[in-house]
Amino acid sequence: MSEGRPVILCVDDEPNALILRKLVLQKAGYEVITASSGKQALELAESRSIDLLLSDQLMPGMTGAQLAKEIRVIAPKARIVLISGVNEIPPDASVADVFLSKVEGPDALCSTVASALSGQ
Amino acid sequence: MTHEPVNILMVDDQPGKLLSYEAILTPLGENLVKANSGREALEILLKADIAIVLMDVSMPDIDGFQLADMIREHPRFQQTAIIFISAVHLSDLDRLKGYERGAVDYISVPVVPELLRAKVTIFAELYRKTQQLERLNHELEHRVAERTEELRESEGQFRSLANSIPQLAWMAHPNGDRFWYNQRWYDYTGKTFDEVKDRGWKTIHHPDHIERVEDSYASCVESGQPWEDTFPLRGTDGAYRWFLSRAVPIYDVNGKIARWFGTNTDITERKQAEEALVKSERFAAMGRLAGIIAHEINNPLEAISNAFYLLRDHPSLDEEARYFAKLAEEELKRIAHITKQTLSFYRESQQAVQVALAEVLENVIELQSRRLQVGGIILEKHLATDGVIHGYPVELKQVFLNIIGNAVQAMPNGGRLRIDLRESWGRSNGHFGVRVSVHDTGVGIQPEHAKKIFEPFFSTKDAKGTGLGLWISKGIIQKYGGTIRFRSMRRGERCATCFSVFIPTAVSAEPKEAAPVLVA
Repeated sequence: MSEGRPVILCVDDEPNALILRKLVLQKAGYEVITASSGKQALELAESRSIDLLLSDQLMPGMTGAQLAKEIRVIAPKARIVLISGVNEIPPDASVADVFLSKVEGPDALCSTVASALSGQ
Repeated sequence: MTHEPVNILMVDDQPGKLLSYEAILTPLGENLVKANSGREALEILLKADIAIVLMDVSMPDIDGFQLADMIREHPRFQQTAIIFISAVHLSDLDRLKGYERGAVDYISVPVVPELLRAKVTIFAELYRKTQQLERLNHELEHRVAERTEELRESEGQFRSLANSIPQLAWMAHPNGDRFWYNQRWYDYTGKTFDEVKDRGWKTIHHPDHIERVEDSYASCVESGQPWEDTFPLRGTDGAYRWFLSRAVPIYDVNGKIARWFGTNTDITERKQAEEALVKSERFAAMGRLAGIIAHEINNPLEAISNAFYLLRDHPSLDEEARYFAKLAEEELKRIAHITKQTLSFYRESQQAVQVALAEVLENVIELQSRRLQVGGIILEKHLATDGVIHGYPVELKQVFLNIIGNAVQAMPNGGRLRIDLRESWGRSNGHFGVRVSVHDTGVGIQPEHAKKIFEPFFSTKDAKGTGLGLWISKGIIQKYGGTIRFRSMRRGERCATCFSVFIPTAVSAEPKEAAPVLVA
């Protein structure tokens, strides 16, 4: 983990959801950078180091699971959390460390992120 | 006109007279037979069919009257005409009156040939006509007998056919009154003909349907159109089964309705299967819909939840605004709870694994242990097997948490909770598997709630329940090819409710009657 505040790369194609999630995480003390697509996220991850990828699963172009696979290569040390409102866990979601339902709410989001970062 | 010649017997002791009669009658073209005495005449009469006897009254051995008497006595000769030839004596005329009723005539001597020919012709014609009539009569009788036999045969064939078909069958008069039922009809209804003849069939109809059935039947009988309807009929056991019923008019040779022939086909199983299919399709569709809706709600819900989370203690808000934000956040949690229930089934593993139900149940009991203790509920647990099945632990836990949680909630004043796990045979399909039974002595299930208990959004817990628990549980168990059933009994103030979940582990060809109870 880099010195100072952990860096979270937050990805979602929906701008409102993305901004609000970023604010919640910032409030919890993290440094948050955002991308609105998998492609943009990969560009960001290549330009700077991240500690955790928090990505929506269902996005146009590249799904969260597909993005997670690429990130594993670029930033092997980064923890990966997929977040989704879908009914079933996608078969390729096992690439992530944690799969989180959007329904769980902000408190669960913060605690999930915290425990992922602490390596549990 | 050609005609069949008839036999004419001429009797006279004088051959000369016979010759003269022959000469007179030959032109008529009939068969002429001669006899020289009464005795000879009798012999001929017995051998041949004689239409007319022409005889002299005075003959040496048997005279004409004596011969006539003998002829008349015999039934075979009642149609034989007799013509006497004689000189006129008063006594003779008197005696002739005795024959008034028969075909008897009299010719005086000297014989006038035209007169004799005329009389013989009339009698010969009469004889021929009578013969013809008799022949026709005989033929007619024969044909009637033949047709009767044919009818009896076809009626017999029809009835054995009607008794062999799997349907209930019946026949009715043109006015719709029933006059015949097949054996299967009696076997099913347990009624006698007297109880159900004419309109008596109405007694085995369901009161909810009888009016419609009567109307549809009556209107078809009136219009002569084939009848079709579907309705329940009561069997000997008092239970109703569904029948598809049809009746068609049978016409006579003149195109008039002679009778109605009807059948009732038992479609109970088909109907149940259809209903089950519709129901399961509806459930599946609702499940898909719920999934889509939940997903569509979850995305904005997360954003709103995050927004209110940020508002929770935002420095720019005053006390009142923060209070509003807090209320909104609480309400959002309720929405989240419902969508979580419907979205449900979060699987921690993508592949099904070996799950021991005994472990799942222990886990659930552990979660409920505090509530059992606080609520004064005595737990009895009989886990007779590990109950290993192939599945997803989390959703199975959800099922039993629902059922056991309901049982606990049904006993606010304490009670007895019994949880059984054993190997078992499925009641409906004969499959082998495991059965979990959860018994409680709580408030019971109201009969009016019994049908709705597995429906979505049905709850007796007011705001505390989502009404989705059992619906989701049923969906999960059905996915395993299993069943979930319940029974609730009330005796006075006391109630006992049992939920039974069967999950098949293997398909077996063993008949379920032979199912051994494998409880330790």
